[in-house]
Amino acid sequence: MRTCVRFAPMIGSKECELPEDEARALAAHLGACPRCRAIARDLAATEGLLGNALMARANSRDFAPFVDQVMARVGARPRPAFEQVRRRPSLLAFLRGHGRLTAVAAAAVVGLLAAVSAFLYVHRSAERPEELAALEVDLEGGNIVLQTSDGPVVLIEPDDETGG
Amino acid sequence: MTRWIACAFALGILHIAVLPALALADVPVHLRVIKGSKKGPAKLDASLEPLKRQLSSLAYVRWELTSDDRRTMEKGKVETVKLPDGDEVMLAIAEEQVDKVTFEVTVASRKTQSKLTVERGQRIVHQVSGEKNGSAFFLTVIAWPDAAK
Repeated sequence: MRTCVRFAPMIGSKECELPEDEARALAAHLGACPRCRAIARDLAATEGLLGNALMARANSRDFAPFVDQVMARVGARPRPAFEQVRRRPSLLAFLRGHGRLTAVAAAAVVGLLAAVSAFLYVHRSAERPEELAALEVDLEGGNIVLQTSDGPVVLIEPDDETGG
Repeated sequence: MTRWIACAFALGILHIAVLPALALADVPVHLRVIKGSKKGPAKLDASLEPLKRQLSSLAYVRWELTSDDRRTMEKGKVETVKLPDGDEVMLAIAEEQVDKVTFEVTVASRKTQSKLTVERGQRIVHQVSGEKNGSAFFLTVIAWPDAAK
């Protein structure tokens, strides 16, 4: 059975399709196996029937004006939308074709973003609503440090004579 | 093409990172000596308007500008500020970062030294003399003054 599975794809192969050693092995198997022999016989009987019929049918048709007929249909057919879209050059293709320009533009964008960020950062500190500064009081070495949102205010230890 | 874009982005990032770092070597500062008084009508010198919020936290109601100076400081270099009463205040930069500076303010006559870190746009108001007849002198220090109001 396993031998039949090995030789089954070879049955029906044409002359010179198989290497010499496989052809000999197939022949030896067909001599010993009636089942495979029957399959080979059936294939040989039907061999060429389909191909011959198709060939006869094809030969009955005149293909001389074939090319002209196809070209005429192509010319009359409206272009589908996907063909129109494909005609537009893609952004990626443009970038690939203009590498240096793309690099310069990218550098300019980065520089512009940096400048805008710096501008916004500087101006942000100027936009403060009128309000009392928040206070935190620390004592450092006798000095009083008032930590306000605008910066520290340091008061030194008062003299004993003035009493603060 | 990918290499060109990578180079461009690297240059852009370098531009953002390196140039500010190079600018740290010199720090422009605006120094003012002001006099605060608890006596007299409340008044704030027009040029001290930006300090209004900070000064409002103190008991002094009258503020006058005594001296105004702009200098360029470097880390480790000591600047001296003379006070109207003859005393001196030493100022130095202890630490520098992109948007922060740590100042050391030394008031020799009072034997005090303060180490204060301020961000860009912040100002130090430091009392530099004892209170006499209800008045005292203060030193104000702001780095990168053009970036602040």
